[in-house]
Amino acid sequence: MSKRSQRKFEEIVRRFVELKDTSELMIDLAYSALLLNSRELAEEVARLEERVDELHTEFELLVLSSGFKKEEAKGFLGLVRLGVAAEKIADAAAQIAEVVLRGVEPHQVLKLAIEEAEETITYVHVAENSPLVNKTLKEARIPEETGMWVLAIKRDEKCIRPKPDTTIQAGDILIASGYAEGEEDLKRLAAPPQGFA
Amino acid sequence: MAFEKIEYKPIPVRELLREMKNLSELMIDLAYSAALFNDRELAEDVLELEKRIDTLAYQLEMMTMIAARDAEDAEALVGVSKVASAADKISDAAADIAAIVIRNIGVHPIVSEIFERVEEHLVKVKVHEKSILVGKTLNELDLAPRMGIDIIAIYRKNDWIINPKAEEKIQFGDVLIARGTSEGLKELMALCEGKLDKLED
Repeated sequence: MSKRSQRKFEEIVRRFVELKDTSELMIDLAYSALLLNSRELAEEVARLEERVDELHTEFELLVLSSGFKKEEAKGFLGLVRLGVAAEKIADAAAQIAEVVLRGVEPHQVLKLAIEEAEETITYVHVAENSPLVNKTLKEARIPEETGMWVLAIKRDEKCIRPKPDTTIQAGDILIASGYAEGEEDLKRLAAPPQGFA
Repeated sequence: MAFEKIEYKPIPVRELLREMKNLSELMIDLAYSAALFNDRELAEDVLELEKRIDTLAYQLEMMTMIAARDAEDAEALVGVSKVASAADKISDAAADIAAIVIRNIGVHPIVSEIFERVEEHLVKVKVHEKSILVGKTLNELDLAPRMGIDIIAIYRKNDWIINPKAEEKIQFGDVLIARGTSEGLKELMALCEGKLDKLED
């Protein structure tokens, strides 16, 4: 395979990974939105839904314009179908978020079924002087230190699905959920008061 | 194709929904792995789970119908039925992904190759009688910090235990579904198969 088509492939897969990660992030956020009856999170899911539609179109256009050979067509069809499935998953997540956006008070049964130990959701800004900066999530040990779980990271208008090797940067906004007591701990960790860092 | 007739069973909606949510999320992981690594067995597992979810969806719908006695109940329960149908939709999407393998369409090998570099892996491995894991709790094994892997499900006696708790003991014959780094997963497989008899510190 030529260097050029290798690069093209890399680009296509990169788009797909973003599509896949975003759709899965949306599911996590949508269930949390439901559990906490959080309009803010539900709106985030709705925004991501639009982003997925854009990403999906870009991805399909890229696949279609990649000039594959006849014998490769099947492999590309598989990729196209993966994209369609990711988009369907995103739609399902948006449907969950819609329940919150329509102002339906989530039924007790939903809270029991979701089974997560979430009481609160918090948005924290990571300051330059935070010990979290340049650490991966695995190294940062946020759940161990604070009892809070990072659901998503907002960075330059993007919403990233956290993975163990995702590096935290100054300026990131962490969307985290957990017990109410953990909120202050996380805020201190993300933005240590001057003189205490 | 034969469809199973579904009879009403008084199972709490909470249980039905919890199972639908957990299974549908597991299915996504299994389905992507099946497609990207062209694993037919995993793909077939996904299709099995899809049938299970369909049954749960019918049962849940019957339960919510019975529970709604008036307009107020209906308003309170419509959210439940929407969420259940979303979980069903997620499982359908997972089945679509599995069908890429079942129908021999496949994904271009270079896609898997690139994907492998950026994403975490998933394996399905059976616990051998001689494995040192038998009888140990997940807590004791401390797999995440030690090997960088996470057991996301256990298949035991025709039943799925999803997101097993720390106190869960591994039994002989269990099938573990684990996710993590490829080195960690290799080690886990050797441990399960009894080829490695010591946990590294």
